[in-house]
Amino acid sequence: MLLEIQDLSGGYGGRDVIHGISCCAGAGEILCLVGPNGCGKTTLFRLLLGTLPVSGGSIRMDGRETSGLTPRELANLAAYIPQAHAPVFEYTVLEIVMMGRASHFSAFDAPKAVDRDAAFAALEKLRAAPLANRKYTSLSGGQRQLVLIARAVCQAAKIFLMDEPAANLDYANQQLLLEAAGELAGNGRCVVMSTHSPEHPASIGHKALLMRDGRAEAFGTPRDVLVPDALERAYGIEMDVVAVRDRYGKERLICLPVKR
Amino acid sequence: MDVSYKEEEKRLRRRYRRTLLALLVLLTGAALLSFWAGYYPLTPADVCKAFLWRFGFQGDILPQAVTIFWHIRFPRVLSAALIGASLTAAGSVYQGMFRNPLVSPDILGVSSGAGLGAALAILSGAPGWLVQLSAFCGGVAAVALSYLVSRKSAYSQTLSLALTGSMVMALCNAGITLIKYVSDPNSVLPQITFWLMGSLNGTSLEDLAWSAAPMAAGLAVIFALRWRINLLTLEEEEARSLGIDVRRTRLLFIAAATLLSAAAVCLGGLIGWVGLMVPHMTRALAGADYRRLIPAGAMLGAAYLVLIDSIARSLLSLELPLGVVTSILGVPFFLYLTVRRKEG
Repeated sequence: MLLEIQDLSGGYGGRDVIHGISCCAGAGEILCLVGPNGCGKTTLFRLLLGTLPVSGGSIRMDGRETSGLTPRELANLAAYIPQAHAPVFEYTVLEIVMMGRASHFSAFDAPKAVDRDAAFAALEKLRAAPLANRKYTSLSGGQRQLVLIARAVCQAAKIFLMDEPAANLDYANQQLLLEAAGELAGNGRCVVMSTHSPEHPASIGHKALLMRDGRAEAFGTPRDVLVPDALERAYGIEMDVVAVRDRYGKERLICLPVKR
Repeated sequence: MDVSYKEEEKRLRRRYRRTLLALLVLLTGAALLSFWAGYYPLTPADVCKAFLWRFGFQGDILPQAVTIFWHIRFPRVLSAALIGASLTAAGSVYQGMFRNPLVSPDILGVSSGAGLGAALAILSGAPGWLVQLSAFCGGVAAVALSYLVSRKSAYSQTLSLALTGSMVMALCNAGITLIKYVSDPNSVLPQITFWLMGSLNGTSLEDLAWSAAPMAAGLAVIFALRWRINLLTLEEEEARSLGIDVRRTRLLFIAAATLLSAAAVCLGGLIGWVGLMVPHMTRALAGADYRRLIPAGAMLGAAYLVLIDSIARSLLSLELPLGVVTSILGVPFFLYLTVRRKEG
């Protein structure tokens, strides 16, 4: 398993937000984190990124215990893809992507031709290379998210941590992003993403972790986790899970809040 | 066979090299103009001859021209260039670190601290070199205080630094006002006032040598690590995930930028706005990447201050304080930026 989380607890300065979560994901798998607002998805990400201290249990990435690793060692194991943001300065897309190479050379160095080639290759992989010389600030939200994924690709880590990649995006861009995540997993990477739509794990996820109040409500395949019972416990409202077939005959799961 | 976007990227790199070359020409031109301008005008030929005199040139040149060149103009132009480069580098670093393009090198209180240090030394009748040293120590101490207090804060590091910086600044300014209030209005007060105005009048080669060392150290650190500043302009979490120790890197850059701005204040007094304006002008010329911004900005800042200094001493029959001229030019520029940001 590329990512193994065992009985993990942690949070902000002695106050635990995450209590005893266990889950895992292997190469080629997408693990989706779902749950209501404030259930601890972001905190779990911060524990994985090492920005918050782990108070109990363990995180292993590619077989290595992550506590005690330097930021640089951690960067070689896991890449973080934040929500599309708007930096203050007008970097070009290529400059943003090349920042992903920081863990590949010493502090006194700057990116060289190999790093530039890696950045171009990553952009090409995501079919975003024509954007290379555009200003990142002039891109749409979906394009920015693609560029951030390209940056993570050229960081060359095996685990990708995506924080709500589909938030604030329209249908077309959401689909683009989910496909990109699917391709990453297809290339033998492991993707962990948090999402607000329980449909996402159903359509692309291999595993799902449903969280509530910093605890794991359910963990397993999306089909096992996304059941009305568990969703109702997590969200505190009545939920139906409906299976429908799209026009190509593929079965899709839809989660519906219901009210009498 | 290269594709169009790779061609385009190469073209941008070539354009940057041309920009650097143009800035070098501008800096040389500004320096020559500044050697020539002033109360005692030297012709370009005089400047050349006076320069070569040091290296054994024997020709028809007035001894006072040699003295003016080597004792007045040369240290002055070199100081202006170094101060301009230092303030621009420090301003660029702070703007990146605070992720705010409206930040200036004074944000952590370095200028006010240096002013307080100088005012204290002048009040106690210290000699010139001690005033410089006291100003330098005051500037460094103010930043150190801002930094140490901010570590106790519960806010994010950049926000708490900005808060403690402005408090330290207010405290130092209150101290300066108090010293001005109790000092002798006939002898000490004018000295303090003139010091705070900022001027390169009477800068000697020795003054320059003392300040050049910390400046060179600060510039060297920033130049060597300049690409990393890009990472500090991201969210802290994001920067860390790319593999850098954010707090340690930030501390290193704060230290380097403080050396630069404290030494600049020692040498030329309070010269505002350069560290805010020039990084912006450079971004328009060379882009946002700190790998390009730092070298291009240092050259532009040097050229800018050398030019401003020439104007300050040749516009009117009396010499204008340098800090006043940079402020008169800087404030409208700042307002323009604020308005443009709101629209954009």
